[in-house]
Amino acid sequence: MPGAPPKPEELVQISYDPPRADWRKTRFDFQKGTYCYSAAAKNLRYLDLPNPRDWQPYEADWKLPPNWKEIILKGMKERLEKFRSFRLFMDICVRCGACADKCHFFLGSADPKNMPVLRAELIRSVYRRYFTLAGRIFRGLAGARDLTEDVLKEWFYYFYQCTECRRCSVFCPFGIDTAEITIMVRELLNLVGVNTNWVLEPAANCFRTGNHLGIQPHTFKDSIDFAVDEIEEITGVRVEAPINKKGAEILFIVPSADYFAVPHYYTLLGYLMLFHEIGLDYTFSAYASEGGNFGFFSSHEMMKRLNAKIYAEAKRLGVKWILGGECGHMWRVIHQYMDTLNGPADFLEEPVSPITGTRFANARSTKMVHICEFTSDLIYNRKLKLDPSRNDHWKVTFHDSCNPARGMGLLEEPRYIIRNVANHFYEMPENTIREQTFCCGSGAGLGTDENIDMRLRGGLPRANAAKYVRDKYGVNLLTCICAIDKATLPTALEYWTPGVEVGGIHELVANALVMKGEKERITDVRGEPLQLGKEATVNA
Amino acid sequence: MVKISAERKRAIAQAWLEMTLCTYPSQSMQFMLDERDRFRNPVGHALKNGIPLLINEILDETDSERARQALEEIVRIRAVQNFSARDAVGFVFLLKRTLSQELPDDNKDRLELERRVDEMALTAFDFYSQCRAKISDIQVSEARRRVAQLQRIYSEAEGR
Amino acid sequence: MNALTSFILILVVTGLAFAGGEISSCRVLLDVVLPYAAMAAFLVGLVYRVLKWASSPVPFNIPTTCGQQKSLSWIKSSWIESAHTKLGVAVRMAIEILLFRSLFRNSRAQIRQEGPRLLYSENKWLWLGALAFHWSMLVIVLRHLRFFVEPVPRFILAMDAVDGFFQISAPQLLVTDVVIIVALLFLLQRRLTDPKVRYISLFSDYLALFLLLGIAISGVLMRYFFKVDLEAVKQLAIGLVTFSPIVPASIGALFFVHLTLVSFLLAYLPFSKLVHMGGIFLSPTRNLPNDSRMVRHVNPWNYPVKVHTYQEWEEEFHDKIKAAGLPLERE
Repeated sequence: MPGAPPKPEELVQISYDPPRADWRKTRFDFQKGTYCYSAAAKNLRYLDLPNPRDWQPYEADWKLPPNWKEIILKGMKERLEKFRSFRLFMDICVRCGACADKCHFFLGSADPKNMPVLRAELIRSVYRRYFTLAGRIFRGLAGARDLTEDVLKEWFYYFYQCTECRRCSVFCPFGIDTAEITIMVRELLNLVGVNTNWVLEPAANCFRTGNHLGIQPHTFKDSIDFAVDEIEEITGVRVEAPINKKGAEILFIVPSADYFAVPHYYTLLGYLMLFHEIGLDYTFSAYASEGGNFGFFSSHEMMKRLNAKIYAEAKRLGVKWILGGECGHMWRVIHQYMDTLNGPADFLEEPVSPITGTRFANARSTKMVHICEFTSDLIYNRKLKLDPSRNDHWKVTFHDSCNPARGMGLLEEPRYIIRNVANHFYEMPENTIREQTFCCGSGAGLGTDENIDMRLRGGLPRANAAKYVRDKYGVNLLTCICAIDKATLPTALEYWTPGVEVGGIHELVANALVMKGEKERITDVRGEPLQLGKEATVNA
Repeated sequence: MVKISAERKRAIAQAWLEMTLCTYPSQSMQFMLDERDRFRNPVGHALKNGIPLLINEILDETDSERARQALEEIVRIRAVQNFSARDAVGFVFLLKRTLSQELPDDNKDRLELERRVDEMALTAFDFYSQCRAKISDIQVSEARRRVAQLQRIYSEAEGR
Repeated sequence: MNALTSFILILVVTGLAFAGGEISSCRVLLDVVLPYAAMAAFLVGLVYRVLKWASSPVPFNIPTTCGQQKSLSWIKSSWIESAHTKLGVAVRMAIEILLFRSLFRNSRAQIRQEGPRLLYSENKWLWLGALAFHWSMLVIVLRHLRFFVEPVPRFILAMDAVDGFFQISAPQLLVTDVVIIVALLFLLQRRLTDPKVRYISLFSDYLALFLLLGIAISGVLMRYFFKVDLEAVKQLAIGLVTFSPIVPASIGALFFVHLTLVSFLLAYLPFSKLVHMGGIFLSPTRNLPNDSRMVRHVNPWNYPVKVHTYQEWEEEFHDKIKAAGLPLERE
């Protein structure tokens, strides 16, 4: 029908790029909702980082230093010599594609550059060009390409689309860990002042005040006091929460979100109630008031700078050992890095639970114990009186947070606790939990609201599995042991799987814990009315 | 109700599915088509599961809740992916293209079916707007939470 | 494009070897100089590569944990997947290297609901293909020892007996010969037809496959179709390994092709992704025990960094700490 107006279907353009296309030639734009804003100059200055200036990723001119290329290449060389992981992972990939469909960002976005292998090739191609003989001679034929400003921008775009969750590394026959590569590239980008505010502002805050949110000591105390008051309201029991108390047996470290964000806060209530009930001699610290470590999302050095406070404070306060709250990347840092970075902690003692006498031999060098290890030991030794029916309004599932799962192996402890404090527990499908768990899509410093589209794409696989248990079993609470999960999964689930709330393990403990001298509980720690009428199961 | 054999229906669904998958990068398309595990392939699953329901809806006017849900699920996914508004909902019109191949131009049902496709596209557009509005809401509420947090930090700081 | 270029390159090399085998003056080059040069490149290159890797330290203990950690005595730890002992790590590495554990993870068979039907899942092809290729390759390489030692060791004879299990054709059909070619063709096919994998494939990925295929096919042709003088081959081989090379009169052009391609492979291997066989042993996400809280891992280049000390912190917030009634070091 020549001359006739086009039919609607003809207006729909099908973008189909042929499979032959060379990925080195495909382009991308900084589309709104898919990237994070740049770091404010003041934060860079505060942390003594190079090239503080005003710029944004969507602008053409990134105001890089004139010798940026030299800086990056020198930085690469240095890191190749310092990290076997980096050098090896640049060399041994055979591009078998086993990792390709393992990334939550690939699954949610269908962008082929989100396949872990291709994400890594973004820098591998530059590595070949400048650091291998074949690449220097044969260039493109050897899979090499020049380092240009466009390449740098591509790095920024795609390495801030990796949450360092390590899921790909589980499936790689050589154990190539994209998280490791992402860490390196982000370090390199930092050398020329290319970084995001969502990572560096918390880091700067943490350096100064002791925590990511920039909470100063008196406000810290107010928050904890506020929680103490609230516990009294709910339970009628007045708990104590010592801060900076010298000579306490245990130093307790939590992510700052626990005392300042919801739903983390309910978990904090759980810790306080639990410690009161067992009569633990512990202390918070207003100086080491952060367990999380956004430095980890910036560079190894920044991680060390922020992490140093924990041991320093333990030493100053003269505690015997350290207990850590529910947090994901905090535990990656503590489990795999802290002792190496800031140890040896020879001024501390091998952790022993003062209540059960259990030796935490698995933490004998680092001297820091995970709260789930601690609590599950209490429950196993029947030191707690628990009434799981007080969680009957929750149908619970458990989301393994990436770092405790794949950077630590903390899989059974939280499950054991849940089974003892709640009556309705349902696992999500097998290939989405434990070491195969899907990331929340907002880890590693991506959880900012300007990055919302990308976060929702990344959160789809997790939410999709949650939807399955919601529809099948009526699950209405997804529990997790990560502060970033608790901050960002409510958003992802609100969009993908409405009706599923997010909470911590110790929130469930708070509800189930029968305290001496408590008044009858009418609500849970969220203030929601309880379904009453069942007998308490006694665990003492 | 338009009489079409089950086999033809399947063919129409397959053609529509493939055309819709073509709106994704070609490197990922095959994977979304092939991978059967719904948890490993949420996007592909939503499409493969949803499209046959939508076909039934168009051909038999079942007016089913399941079809509405399926449409919503597909649009919800496309609303956050790398699509403009028109590409995100435009996949519905691709069905017209399939129908024009399946049914001759003078088929008396053609017009009626195309009308239903238009209807579905409009519904899809509704869903799309709802999703984008939801995303804005979420963004606003996240920002609000942050502001409230800062306010608390400062007010408590000044309270001293 | 990449596939085509690499295919042509292998064809050219094959052609040159074929032609060279016909010209007697080239034989010394092909029979003696080339194998020695290739072997030298292989050894030097591989040692260089491994030393280079090993020269970079492992600053942190970063295993990817794929199972329950060792913690409380009553929780069963996954002693292989999340190994905390040296033995556990050794077993984990062995399973990884011998059975490609991580690739297999891809393919855990699952029952899943798809509409009304239940389906068993697949994805095991990559694992199977890779495993088939690597094992056949190993058997074939070992089998070739018969050319280099006299008398032929017993285990090789035994291996051949198993390999020739089907007892068809003369000379006996060896299973690995078939398997290796099928596996290579499968891997090639996958690279060409799976759009994801095709997108990530480089020239060198295809080159490796064509090279190996060339070697396997020329070998098979020699064994079953265009027989070569095995005595002469053995003479040459033993001559080479005892550093007293003799150039036999005639072995056949096909042999030169085989030998040239093998030399090419040897020389190319250390400089390509094929060094993954050496790299896997060093991979820090697999070869370290998950004992980082039990034993302190030492970073050889750990350096002091600028920190914000307690004293500085207390100084900055002194009045606020005091007002909040928190203890101070200095009043």
